[in-house]
Amino acid sequence: MNTTGTKSDKKTDEEAPCIVACPIRQDARDYIQLIARRRFQEAYQLVRSRNPLPSACGRICTHPCETKCRRNSTETPIAIAWLKRFLGDNFSEEISKIPIEKYPERIAIIGAGPAGLAAANDLALLGYSCTIFESNSTPGGMLRMGVPTYRLPRMAIDNDVEFIKKLGVEIKYNTTFGTDITFDSLKKEGFSAIFIGVGLLESRTLNIEGVQLDGVIRGVPFLHEVNTTGRAHIGKNVLVIGGGAVAMDCARTALRLKPDKVSVASLESRKEMPTTDFEIEEAVHEGVILHNSVGPKRILGKDGRATGLETLKVKYVFDEQKRFNPAFYDGSESVIDADTIILAIGQASDLSFLKGQERIQVTRSGTLVVNPTTFSTALHGVYAGGDIVLGRGTMTEGMAQGKKAALAIHNALRNTTLKDEKWNNKTAVSDIAPSRIALIKKEQKQEMPTMSSEKRLDNFDEVELGFSINAAVKEAQRCMNCGAGAFVDDNLCVGCLTCVRICPFEVPEIKKGDTTAYINGDCQSCGLCVVECPARAISFKTPLEDQGKDTLQAALQDTFIQGVKPLIINFYCQYGAYNEDKIDTINNLLFFHVRRVGVLGLGKVDPSLYLKAFELGAHGVLVTACKDDTCHFCKEQEWIERRTKFTAQLLSGLGMDARRFKTHFISSQNGKEILDIAFNMIEELRNI
Amino acid sequence: MIVAASKPFQEIKQMLSEFRKICVLGCGSCVTICHTGGEKQVAELAAQLRLSAKLEGRQIEVKEDSTLRQCEWEFIDNIREVIEDCDAVLSIACGVGVQYMAEKFPKIRIFPGVNTTFMGGPTEQGIFWERCAGCGNCILATTGGLCPVSRCAKSLMNGPCGGSQNGRCEVSQETPCVWNQIYDQLDTQQLLKTMETIVPPKDWTTGAENHPRKMVLEHLVVKKQIN
Repeated sequence: MNTTGTKSDKKTDEEAPCIVACPIRQDARDYIQLIARRRFQEAYQLVRSRNPLPSACGRICTHPCETKCRRNSTETPIAIAWLKRFLGDNFSEEISKIPIEKYPERIAIIGAGPAGLAAANDLALLGYSCTIFESNSTPGGMLRMGVPTYRLPRMAIDNDVEFIKKLGVEIKYNTTFGTDITFDSLKKEGFSAIFIGVGLLESRTLNIEGVQLDGVIRGVPFLHEVNTTGRAHIGKNVLVIGGGAVAMDCARTALRLKPDKVSVASLESRKEMPTTDFEIEEAVHEGVILHNSVGPKRILGKDGRATGLETLKVKYVFDEQKRFNPAFYDGSESVIDADTIILAIGQASDLSFLKGQERIQVTRSGTLVVNPTTFSTALHGVYAGGDIVLGRGTMTEGMAQGKKAALAIHNALRNTTLKDEKWNNKTAVSDIAPSRIALIKKEQKQEMPTMSSEKRLDNFDEVELGFSINAAVKEAQRCMNCGAGAFVDDNLCVGCLTCVRICPFEVPEIKKGDTTAYINGDCQSCGLCVVECPARAISFKTPLEDQGKDTLQAALQDTFIQGVKPLIINFYCQYGAYNEDKIDTINNLLFFHVRRVGVLGLGKVDPSLYLKAFELGAHGVLVTACKDDTCHFCKEQEWIERRTKFTAQLLSGLGMDARRFKTHFISSQNGKEILDIAFNMIEELRNI
Repeated sequence: MIVAASKPFQEIKQMLSEFRKICVLGCGSCVTICHTGGEKQVAELAAQLRLSAKLEGRQIEVKEDSTLRQCEWEFIDNIREVIEDCDAVLSIACGVGVQYMAEKFPKIRIFPGVNTTFMGGPTEQGIFWERCAGCGNCILATTGGLCPVSRCAKSLMNGPCGGSQNGRCEVSQETPCVWNQIYDQLDTQQLLKTMETIVPPKDWTTGAENHPRKMVLEHLVVKKQIN
């Protein structure tokens, strides 16, 4: 559900690329826009309404949203995942009303990993009683077993899971499917549907000479051991074989066990490695040595112990059909010394729970076969999703499977066809026109504060420390609000061309054969056209852009201020007011005589709203805009100056004193400057 | 299109001073395009009226509405309920719209909020120039597509007067001398010879001399009273 109610473009039905790219269709743009306006609690609720594991997801998601972010065209993408983590770490939602169990059917969910937790979360919200059966003693599945704590502290998982439990979901730990419980026992217990989300618990192994030697261990059990006990038996010279996220996790985890050296041997070149650049960079930064484009030939050993890996140089990893089919150069052997070799070349399924159950089909690679729409296996009432179906997926892909399966289970049990419109395949807003890139102001990405590399290798504490409020707001304000900007109502547009002529980003156009204007996805949401359109045919697609109207009403609702004299309404630009430390101080200092109405860009404010402020009881209106050099948009100052003049004329027509309406262009909306201006104005108004 | 200019607010206020329930009514065509009679201007005028009353301690109710064209009976009939609920209407349509409103709602006082000024268009964003005087006998074919009737201060028919100075009109330095422009245009088109033909005195009876004018399209007339 899109709780911000953003309208879609009737002509194109385009969606923000970050939302389209996300496996669970997280409303990234909208929660970022809420953060940009300091509406953190609503932002958190929006995230949580779609994502059952926001704290964990904000840390380890591979964020395809950022890969598709259109800020890539101007400099670097928005730190979407880090912003979600900021919300998960600092905000929570009190559940005042646990969903009523509307339906009698009980659902059994096998595995408390991303898929199982997502399925349970959504089924509980739909009104079902859910029990999760988990073989471990703690929740999270591979998040807990596989992901190191320095990337994902366990409290992040626990916080997320606690919320799911508050929805009424029961989790039974230390309960293994296939031994402690079976298909039959669950049926006897009265469960109407079973969702299998057990994940891939086994590590793949290599079919080469020497894998049986002492010192050769598998990646996932190694991570599991360290993640649960804080230690593992390794030698002084560790080599990880693999190039993906698990390989990076193994290498960085091994580093923290203080061997002399940790290396990684990867088939892929550095560019081809199937993990995020950030993970590779952090591993190298911490001291991991990378051997790229080498393939394992055999593990060398002495006295039954591994001593190194003989490698071959890789000719190519993927063949012409882009299939994984590595080829090597003959005679290119070389040796990487190691006394511990960790195999992190992929995971495999453990299907022992299927014993005696032949109806559920299994693929050659050991995954379960399900109907891709209904998630149903061939066994009636049994569903499956997550890695056990995908083979290899990300956390969000697992959650997406769980969410889709939950809806499918509901539809099957109720014989309904309830749909989640978010899964509709919408077209992403296309890339920014190259000619427009230069018109968009570059905004530096906020750095993630991290623990110093000297400190981090002594422990398993989290390396990334999280955004401060200031950094989060500043980062969120870089968002270009793709697909939620201005749009033209064809029924109202009179084709006056005002928008076409005034847009500083040259976005509106009247296409050949059309008589009304069209605003494409390159709109930057500056709002100039929305205000200047004489026919009021242009509005924002997102209701978040209230243009100051709702905020003004809210600011004047306090009965206390009705007696205050003089009362000033200060319309200020939120782009210039990201600094948390100062905003409260300023607001407190000004509180008695000044009410502040923040708008993300004052180009969105209609002059008639300034008149409205007077009508609602203000004795003065103070507009504080950002100076051109600090303005998020371009040409705002020029337009704010024009409107100031125009508003002054309207007020002069009413015989109002010119001192009642002032506009100032200032460097910061939270500095001493605003205090001086406001106090001066208070004094002036006292003298009128 | 018809271009209209906003009336001074003091004049509007004066006109409406005795009314308590007022509708500011915009028109969604020409005056919207020239930024004096669209929905945006409706909101601005309404805000001004409300604030003005508040400052003077008067109680008034100001409604805001707009219709596609105030010069069509059917369109203004659509807003009948709103109009008949008011004591007065401030129409910010051109004079045509104001009259249609007055004719349609004889019991309601209808006031003009704009001064209908000329027929013209925007030459650049926010700047409008007169281009046609509605003379009823178009001569643009012989003047290179530039109208001396509306664009010459004296509506001369046979070239510029002695006041044409460096391509500018003596009445206003801002105004280009249209006969200078006509000369340049005809020169470009190698049609300067046409200027040698003397144009006899213009028959003004097709234009403003003959108010009110009427046009009948016989093939479209249906015998149905739509007013």
